[in-house]
Amino acid sequence: MEEQKIKIEICCGTACYMLGAAELLRLENIIPDQWKDAVDISAIPCLEACSSDNLGGAPFVKINGELMSNASVESVCEKIFEIMKTRGGH
Amino acid sequence: MMKNDSLFVEMECCQLTKDGQSACGDDFQWERLENENRNIAVLSDGLGSGIKANLLANMTTTMAMKFIRSNMDILQSAETIMDTLPVCEYRKISYATFTIFDMQIGGKTKVIEMGNPPFIHLRHNIEIVPQNQKKLVSERWPDREMTISELRMEVGDRLIACSDGVTQAGLGRREYKFGWQRRGELKFIQDLITREPNISAKDIAQAVAYEALSINKDHKCIDDISCMVIYLRNPRVLRILTGPPFRKENDREFAALALPESGANKVIICGGTTANIVERELRTRVEIDLKLVRFSKGLPPPGKIPGIGTVTEGILTLTRVATDLENDSWEDSPPAAKTIIEQMMDSDVIEFIVGTKVNEAHQDPNLPIDLEIRRNIIKRLQDVLKQKYRKHVTIKYY
Repeated sequence: MEEQKIKIEICCGTACYMLGAAELLRLENIIPDQWKDAVDISAIPCLEACSSDNLGGAPFVKINGELMSNASVESVCEKIFEIMKTRGGH
Repeated sequence: MMKNDSLFVEMECCQLTKDGQSACGDDFQWERLENENRNIAVLSDGLGSGIKANLLANMTTTMAMKFIRSNMDILQSAETIMDTLPVCEYRKISYATFTIFDMQIGGKTKVIEMGNPPFIHLRHNIEIVPQNQKKLVSERWPDREMTISELRMEVGDRLIACSDGVTQAGLGRREYKFGWQRRGELKFIQDLITREPNISAKDIAQAVAYEALSINKDHKCIDDISCMVIYLRNPRVLRILTGPPFRKENDREFAALALPESGANKVIICGGTTANIVERELRTRVEIDLKLVRFSKGLPPPGKIPGIGTVTEGILTLTRVATDLENDSWEDSPPAAKTIIEQMMDSDVIEFIVGTKVNEAHQDPNLPIDLEIRRNIIKRLQDVLKQKYRKHVTIKYY
């Protein structure tokens, strides 16, 4: 059975966009070619995480449903790498 | 019977300046007197060309607008205009033509003309010849005859007036011995409407002006060209939902305003949270094409909700829209701002549905720029859309 893709949802809300989501939206062009078939990147109008005090700072990204605060291209790539490692291949 | 309050009067003019001149020698002014349900548009062609002609034309439109608005006697108004215009030092005369459309929606429309090519009245794309027309001549200015026509406008009717730069286009070419003339212009407009029955006033004005230019020898602008069009029609409504409602219990009612059956021709949703509310309440999905990111030029890419309309980010995008409208420049705008502006330009009525709940994250001191408060941007947009683009704007807060 084909392994499920890693689902990455990038918040496009105002605060996230200004604090780094603009760069994150280019993720598809930045990640290594061999990862491209393993990830599914989408933009979301707003994850509505920035209005909560206890979820951390913008920008927010959801990776396989798990919210990541203060996300950057590096931290998202690290997370993808981590998930791929646990799946036993990269 | 016409339903007056739901009709829209589109008034547009396209002007091309004579080659080599820094100002157009024709002038156009318009005014919408909301309380009187009345719309006035004036086109004037000043003697000669360039700055001098522009000054004559501008003085004429300004005075005519003022006199007509205050219902002053027409003959007296015309005499005052002619008395006031400065005398050309070469030609020893003062002169500027004018065409005035004074339209009372649901009532009479008065057309006052002096010196311009006779206006065109179209209904179902057929020319209506004015039945009620009289001539007025001032004793002091016997060579300046005025024509006053009274008519009734019906939904779908168009009025068109132009400067002689249109009717005399092509002069000097063998096939246009006497120029394009009014009948050439009329046929061109009727062909346009046959092809596109709901064509806007703006598109007709532009098409006529550029056709006149193309008819001219070597496509040169040998005289100032102006075409003014009035189109009485049912309004095209663009509804923009932005910001979450102050009370959550109003979310459903708010979101329902995005539905096609709610009366708007087009809908735009500006704001991430707003889009989430519409998604949740109408059980639909926003689609954002990440391929557009490459062209997004500093704004989040636009998306869409199938069957509903466009979705964009909120504050940054609306601020950019306001700035671009104020500067009259959106050719190179980011796609999100450009799509909003283009939809605004294609609409007559713009309804802002504004949720007033404040997003605290927008007050974060870490944000690189100060974010404008939503209500202030909407106010800016209202001002520029009304004053500069003659749009009818309504705002409803939630």
